[in-house]
Amino acid sequence: MPFPDDLLDQAYDLAHKEPTDPKQASLRRAVSTAYYALFHLLIDEAVSKWAVERQRSILARTFEHGKMKAICDDVLKTVKSGGSVLPELNTVAHNFIQLQQHRHAADYDNSRQWSRTDVLNVLALATDAITAWRAIRMQDAAQDYLLQLFLPRLPKQ
Amino acid sequence: MYLPSAAAKQEINAAVSEVVRLLDPDVVHIRYDIGRDWSGDQAIFFRVLLSDEASRTRLRDVTTQVVWRLAERLDFPSMGLFPYHNFRNVSEQDVLREEAWA
Repeated sequence: MPFPDDLLDQAYDLAHKEPTDPKQASLRRAVSTAYYALFHLLIDEAVSKWAVERQRSILARTFEHGKMKAICDDVLKTVKSGGSVLPELNTVAHNFIQLQQHRHAADYDNSRQWSRTDVLNVLALATDAITAWRAIRMQDAAQDYLLQLFLPRLPKQ
Repeated sequence: MYLPSAAAKQEINAAVSEVVRLLDPDVVHIRYDIGRDWSGDQAIFFRVLLSDEASRTRLRDVTTQVVWRLAERLDFPSMGLFPYHNFRNVSEQDVLREEAWA
């Protein structure tokens, strides 16, 4: 099974680890893992285009959370202004930004209490985004999106 | 930090009330704060309290309804805000007892 799918499975396992009284540690790790499932899916797709296989892991480390958020934000702004965007790409961009914020709260905000309901919703965001991505991954718009994640602020054609 | 005008707050409150009314009894209430997200961008953080039944039997459907109905009524980009949503149910809030969700 591909690594992102393993991560997503692990996130669901963590979310259900304690049947009645979930531990905050399990819920937080579930949220963080769900974000990384989508994060790694997109990066793996992008670097898989690079011909020299041994260089892919180096390339993968150059992706930045902030730049990826900015590109996703551009997609949402295009939708809002009436531009043509695949609905699936809109889902990926929207859910990526949501997941990023949830992951940040889960990893760094210790004052915050998580509920299983909240976590299951976050996991659904990741699941929907991964499904949406796989439906469009070979289309030109998806390929252009990947390139922009790597080379943000590419001039619009 | 972005401080919403009285008119903007009124608009947000009206939209929230309408969405709660539309999605009753699945949505019990919605609270929110305005602040910054992890990257420093202005954001509005909604805390949505769901009925136990809605959260257990149709969570994805209800959460999607909340997100899109709020977005239909509030032009977040023109407000300069990015919306984030968190959900919990009544029983979970009874255990966690967080003031911000009450």
